[in-house]
This record gives sequence, structure tokens and C-alpha cells, in this order.
Amino acid sequence: MELLVLVWRNLTARLTRSTFTWLGIAVASASMVLFLSFGEGLRHALAAEMGNMGPQIRVVAQGTDAFSPPLPELPPQMLEQIKQLAPELGIEKVIPAVVMFRGGFDPASSFLFYGLPPGADPRDFYPKAQVAAGRIDPHPSGAVVGSKKAELNHLTMGKELRLSRDVKLPVVGVLKPAGSMLDSFIFVPLRTLQKVLGTKNYGVFLVQLDPDAKPEEVAQKLEEQIPGIDAQSTTEALKFAERAMRIGDLIRFGISLVALVVGGLLVANTVMMSVYERTREFGVMRAIGARRRFIFGLVLSEALFLALAGGVSGVIAGYVGSALINLYTQHAVGLALSAVTPRLVFFSMGIALALGLIAGLIPARNASRIPVTEALGRV
Amino acid sequence: MLRAEHLSKHYRQGEATITALTDFTYDFPPGATAVVGPSGSGKTTLLNLLAGFDRPSTGSVELAATKLETLDEDGRADVRLRHAGFVFQSWNLLPTLTALENVSFPLLLAGVGRSERNQRALPLLEKMGLAARADHRPNQLSGGEQQRVAIARALALEPAVLFADEPTGNLDSAAGAQVLDLLLEHASGERRLVLVTHDLQIAARAQRVLHLRDGRLTKIEEL
Repeated sequence: MELLVLVWRNLTARLTRSTFTWLGIAVASASMVLFLSFGEGLRHALAAEMGNMGPQIRVVAQGTDAFSPPLPELPPQMLEQIKQLAPELGIEKVIPAVVMFRGGFDPASSFLFYGLPPGADPRDFYPKAQVAAGRIDPHPSGAVVGSKKAELNHLTMGKELRLSRDVKLPVVGVLKPAGSMLDSFIFVPLRTLQKVLGTKNYGVFLVQLDPDAKPEEVAQKLEEQIPGIDAQSTTEALKFAERAMRIGDLIRFGISLVALVVGGLLVANTVMMSVYERTREFGVMRAIGARRRFIFGLVLSEALFLALAGGVSGVIAGYVGSALINLYTQHAVGLALSAVTPRLVFFSMGIALALGLIAGLIPARNASRIPVTEALGRV
Repeated sequence: MLRAEHLSKHYRQGEATITALTDFTYDFPPGATAVVGPSGSGKTTLLNLLAGFDRPSTGSVELAATKLETLDEDGRADVRLRHAGFVFQSWNLLPTLTALENVSFPLLLAGVGRSERNQRALPLLEKMGLAARADHRPNQLSGGEQQRVAIARALALEPAVLFADEPTGNLDSAAGAQVLDLLLEHASGERRLVLVTHDLQIAARAQRVLHLRDGRLTKIEEL
């Protein structure tokens, strides 16, 4: 009959109320875990993506949104400028590319085309890319399809892919699953995609460096010497993405905080009601010789126990929810976009316990300060 | 020991001051002392002050060689835990605990380990004739049984003073007589029982009776 047993008995004595409070906290915690698991999953996916990517610098037109497909705004002269600077800056290879996005309502009906120049193939993006069927080079007039895209849209070898009313390409290669965005890409010849878009411009220059060159320095020099471009190294892109993720995390945390505050209020209400109903009990304890600290600890422990039970259940529910989301995203885009990481578990548990603590403090203080005579109705 | 000196208690009620007890002085000798008086005579107020539930407006209470008015709430709780036991009219058992756990509760507060608690609490329940009911919750016990559990709880730490406030008030005459016998049995040797009652027949079982009227000690009757 230690303190925990007392806590358990008191909570189970009012089972319905305690259960609903526990469920409230669990739902709030689960929603927080789910919301924040997207940030964690995206972080993992992005880090893996960047780690797998070949080019060390990505050059786009100034002002291009980092997370949108770049528009074809880089004129051919710019390519020449970079090529001229290549020996001086330690640039080994520049791949001009065009990107076209055809959006649908779901991943199966969305297409991301990369137009690559002759001599370049998917391995320039992802050095580990391997072909499962056909060839890896889309030239002179074919499409090489990522594994997930091929699976979702039944793009088998020889099947025709329509890029516009007039332009069709046969599938000449299907890539092996890479567990990255590569699985959702379609690579086509650059000229074909430029024709579809009606431009001679490029959307992005993918820059590969000599082993001795420092990507950040080269990116900075490119920006200084060629006005109107954004040159971003992989490290910078990761840093930028991390900042964006943090902002996203804050927004998601803000949204989930509403649920958490409601959960905290539930605990406060439950414990406050319980204190009110058990005033006489506390009076008896004090009359027998319980110190204020004992009563305070007992009531606070009840709030913390509810928060802990809700927090643990919430994390488990969030984990299950996250796994279900990943089942879908893995099917749809070949990526696990949600992750319940240890730090997210600790963070969620910390928040749940902090809420329990805050919610329990006032009832615990009130319970410990009820005068014995009042509590026992002996005034 | 239990001694009260010039004990008074006034309450403020709006603009008015109500005097519940006036200048009560008495050195409680070992044995059973009954406190009697009509409703509003100050019996409950006196018990509240003697037990340290409340602070006197003036005067002093000495319980187990400690002046209660010099202590804070927790200090008075410590003195109660070690030196006083309580039996209330409405039993006041903790509803979520079994009979055995209720009796063990003061031992838990005193920091006694679980096995020793059970070793000490079970014989008390046996003495109250409730060994078979040790695992029952209060709502599974009759009024008389609950009051006997309350007495066992009050005796758990072998207190020097036992306070009983109308202990038979909610019991039938047979259960009441049994409870009274158990209380009086405790008031032997150097131990003291302070028995507050309005029932003169019950008071007559004590060794002395203090008569209160309008908050004043009007008569001390040795029996």
C-alpha cells in the first residue's frame, strides 16, 4: 500500500471519469506525435535523399522556391558562363536539366519529368541508380521510369508515355527501387522536354565538383559572378530544409498544442473534482497525522499518473498511426514520410508530464491546504 | 500528558464575534474522561483544540510534552500521528482501502515497512474481531464493524491519548456497547481517553465527567 497503490485505488474508484481523462490525454498526445512525426520523417527522408544525390551544387533562377520544381528560366548563355568558370572554380561537370511537373489529385496521377542532356543519365542524380529492365539512358528518344512510378502507373517496357498532345515517348528503361525520390521520377531527353515546354531555357544546372573543391565556396563564387542565380550546395540545402522543417514543426506543434491544452484541462478538471469530492478523506488523513506534503504528493501523483498513462498510450497510438501513414506513402511515393523517433517519444512524454504537472499543481495545493476542521465538517 | 490552560476560541462571523470556548483549564489525568454538554456547549471546539486540529484564540494545549500552539500545521500533524488516536462519529475510514489497509495507514505515514505494517495491523483487527474482514472495503462492512476498524486504526501507533467524538452516535445499542468497551479497555495505565458525548449513560462509564455549558467548564464530576 505505497503511494502508487493509493493513486491507483483513487483513480480506479472513479473509473469512468479517469478513463475518459486518460483517453483525452492519449488522443492529444497521439495527435502531437502524429503531427510531429511528419517533420521527423521528412527530415530523415531529406537527409537520405541528399546523401544519395550526386551533384554537389544545384543552380536555379534567383527566387525559385526550394521545394517547387524550378521553371525554365536559365538562358543557355548562363550555361556557357558556368562552363567558362569551370576550370577556375574546380567544376568537373555541369548538367543542364529541365523539370516538368504534371500534378494530379494523388501520387499515382502526378508526374515529375526530368529532361537530361545527351551524355547524362539518372546516375548523375543518384550514383547508385540501377536499371531493372531496359536501359538507363533515355536518349535518343525514350523515357526511363522510377520503380514506384512504373508500378503505380503500370509503365512497362515499350509502353507509350504521353508528355503533351504531340509528344509521346516509349518506356525504354525501368529503374530498380532506390527507397528515395528517384523511384517517382521519369527521365526523358532534354530536347524533348524543352519542346514540350516551348523553351530553349533550362530549369536547373546540376554541378559536380572536383574532389578538392569546396561546395560552399564554389556556390558563393557562382552567385557573385553570375547575377540572377541561386547556387545551393547540398549542405546549404540541408540547412535550409532544416530551417523550413523547424518552422513546420512549430506550426504543427502549435496546432497539436490546442489538443494538448484541452487534455491538460481535462486532467485539471478530473483532479479538481476528485479533490472536491474527497475533501473529507483528506481531512481524515490530516487528522490521523498526514503532512501537507503527503496530500500534495498524492494528488499531484494522480495527475501525473493520468498524464503518464495518457502520454504512453498516445505515443503508442501515434506510432501505430505513423506506421499506417507510412504504409500509404510508401505505396504512393516509395518513401516513409512519418517517423516516430526516440527524441519525439521523449519530447511527447515530456510535454504530457509537464501538462500533468501543471494541471495537478493547483488541485494538489488546494487539497493540502484544506483546514482539518473544515474538511471534517467540525467547524 | 494532556493539559489545557486558559483555552479560549472566538470566531468572527461578519461583524459579530462568537465565543465557542472560554478559559478552559484542565489537566487530563490517565484513564477515561468524558466531556458532556448540550449542543453548542463547545465540546467539538474543545476536541478540535486539544487535538491540534485548530489553533486557540488564547491559551495553550500541551500534548505529549509539546505545546501545540508553538507548532505549524505539519508539526501538529506529527504530534497527532505519534501520540494521538481518533475515533469519529461517522467512522471516517478511507473508502478505497481495505480494513487492513485502513488500520495500516497511520503506520504507513510513520514510515513503517509493508510487512511490519501488516504484522502490527492484523492483530489489532483480530482483537476487534474483524480478522476475517481484513480484505473488505468500508462499504462492505456494517456500521459497528467500520467503527471497530476505526478504533483499530486509532490504536495502530499505540497513542498516549485517544480522542473519541460521539463514537457510538451512529450505532445501535449492541454495537455501541461493544465499541465503548473497546475504547475503555484502551484507557488503562498511563493512557488517556477523551470521550465527547451528549449521552450521560455513556459518560457514566468514564472515570470523570467534564460538564460544558455555553463554552465554559461548569463542573468536574469524579465517578
